[in-house]
Amino acid sequence: MLKINQLVKKYDDNLVLNGVSGDVEAGQVIVVIGPSGGGKSTLLRCLNRLEEPTGGQILFEGTDLMTLSEKELDQIRTKMGMVFQNFNLFPNLTVMDNLRLAPQKVKKESAAEATKQAEALLERVGLSEKADAYVNQLSGGQKQRIAIARALAMSPDVLLFDEPTSALDPEMVGEVLKVMQDLAQEGMTMVVVTHEMGFAREVADEVWFMADSQIVEKGTPEELFDHPQEPRTQQFLAQVLAQ
Amino acid sequence: MNIKKKLMILMLPLMLLLGVMISNNQPVSAAGQTVSQVQAKKTLVLGTSPDYAPYEFLVNKNGKNKTVGMDIQVAQKLADDLNVKLVVKSMDFDALLVGLETGKVDMVISAMSPTDERSKSVDFSDVYYLGGQSILVNKADAKIYKSKNSFIGKKVGVQTGSLQQTLAKKQIKNAQITGLTKVPDLVLALKSHKIEGIVAETPVATAYASNDPELVRIDGKFDLGADMQGSAIAFPKNSPTLVSAANQSIAQIKKQKLIPQYLKNAGKLMKTNTHNTSMWHYWSYFAKGIGYTLFITIVSIAIGILIGVILAFARISKNKFMHGLAVMYIEFVRGTPLMIQIMFVYFGIGLWINIPALLAGVIAVSLNSAAYVAEIIRSGINAIDPGQTEASRSLGLSQHDTMRYIILPQALKNIWPALGNEFISLIKESSIVSIIGVTDLIYQLKVVQSATYKGVAPIFVAMLIYFVLTFSLSKLLNYIERKMQHA
Repeated sequence: MLKINQLVKKYDDNLVLNGVSGDVEAGQVIVVIGPSGGGKSTLLRCLNRLEEPTGGQILFEGTDLMTLSEKELDQIRTKMGMVFQNFNLFPNLTVMDNLRLAPQKVKKESAAEATKQAEALLERVGLSEKADAYVNQLSGGQKQRIAIARALAMSPDVLLFDEPTSALDPEMVGEVLKVMQDLAQEGMTMVVVTHEMGFAREVADEVWFMADSQIVEKGTPEELFDHPQEPRTQQFLAQVLAQ
Repeated sequence: MNIKKKLMILMLPLMLLLGVMISNNQPVSAAGQTVSQVQAKKTLVLGTSPDYAPYEFLVNKNGKNKTVGMDIQVAQKLADDLNVKLVVKSMDFDALLVGLETGKVDMVISAMSPTDERSKSVDFSDVYYLGGQSILVNKADAKIYKSKNSFIGKKVGVQTGSLQQTLAKKQIKNAQITGLTKVPDLVLALKSHKIEGIVAETPVATAYASNDPELVRIDGKFDLGADMQGSAIAFPKNSPTLVSAANQSIAQIKKQKLIPQYLKNAGKLMKTNTHNTSMWHYWSYFAKGIGYTLFITIVSIAIGILIGVILAFARISKNKFMHGLAVMYIEFVRGTPLMIQIMFVYFGIGLWINIPALLAGVIAVSLNSAAYVAEIIRSGINAIDPGQTEASRSLGLSQHDTMRYIILPQALKNIWPALGNEFISLIKESSIVSIIGVTDLIYQLKVVQSATYKGVAPIFVAMLIYFVLTFSLSKLLNYIERKMQHA
């Protein structure tokens, strides 16, 4: 579904992605782990060209994203939902309108259609009673669940999660991970950048370990967590698991 | 960044070039004005500064301002003789000759003496009235001051750009000269002892002395050169036919001894003015001023926002040319005084296209406000978390929709107080348009001052009105701000 080929990203002279490649199959959950500054978030943000890659290729459902015009890119982005570390909900809109805006403006859905779908999604993330609330009336966990619902409102083929629980108070991490876990079980294709090793072990189909601008090692959770091959991976896991 | 600097450097020679072009470009009137030209357009436009009774001043006839006085009757006589309609345009005294040179008016009659210096840039008719120069002092000081020689080293007030200014400078040793544009302001300064005396034409000084018991006129005893005696009509340079037509009319005025008659008429009108000097009596003046002030402010806010938004987008745009252009415009407008911009639009652009004062005022104030609004909007947009744009774009919303539905609504809410400040200061700053003769509140305040010979009361009324206007607006803005706040 998603093919990443020798992706390169440079900021001035600073090489952030140094020829990263990987495949994401439909229905797969890929969890990207690794030390901060290793390029995980940049990789994720390059996938829908929020960051402009310096080189390489991204094939999404057969389309080369690098060749697309701004307009075509907008169309592709409707199929690639994204969930951000800081939620990035729209504070000028109600929860309901956060969910309805893009379906109505981009997919030209009718108000009734968009409302019906938004209500269903709110129910799914357990926040039906917040439909008319504004963003600043929500807790962090609630915000992130709404953000997931907002991404789902476009019925994307893949969901990209950029450290979705890093900005949350510890007691709210669970409710967000639960929603993500449910999504994975329903067969949603997901690429998740996270520090939640428990989630990676339990939910991932494949774990990518990224460090120093490269994917150092890929494997099933068992392979990567229990039998890491690369010294860099072993070193990272030793540090993380010691905590 | 780099291109911005380059554009800035490029801008300097451009500005210089523009300056040279304008100073070299002899105005429309370079060839002067002829009688046949005036007769062809059927109007004779008079420029005057109506704050100089009995020469020229304003009276309220049936709620309408009318410029009257001896000079106006001279102008009327000339218009009648040429068989054209007289149109009176009022401006500050020191703007009159510029108005003449830039073709805003066909002639200037404003108690103006035909000095050699002025003759370099305009043509003068024969003298139609020999006034003489007096000094106006406070009654309490009448014993101290006898003539110009009593003012050595003292503070003396004069009208800016007037002959009296030159006289005071040259003939009163070590005098500290205060120049103000309006005689009523000078009178206020005199009464509050900021100055000790005002040098003015004898009829003017007489008028003030007879209408204000606190003031006394003394003879200035200045040494007056031939060119400093009396008043003449000014025409654009190289207008021989107009000058000779004027001289014919002046000859008739002298022969028929019309001047005493004119002065008598003026005196009568002055009495009707000072008959009732309560501020209520002049409410229609202030009302008219409020109307213009509000009109200029509202139109300028509307145009300013429109252009300001465009400028703000140009400035944050990735297009370096648009960006540079917007930066240049904003920096230039913010870096020059509004007053100069207004004069530039009215007189400068007036060289090519003749625009009325009100329009010139609105254009200048709008363009000025646009620069400030642009900066406010830009800062508002920049202050929005980039995550908002990312989230919106990741949902497939276009850049345009992102701006419209996500960024601008949030930015507007954040910048509302700053925008409100700009609107409030616009009400106050728009007062500068009075210098080109737009009859806004400040202008009307000066009219009432001249008409009533009262200095402070009209200022107080205008101050109250400005406060009521700005206070109401600030209440309205607060109300909207509260409406925009969610929980």
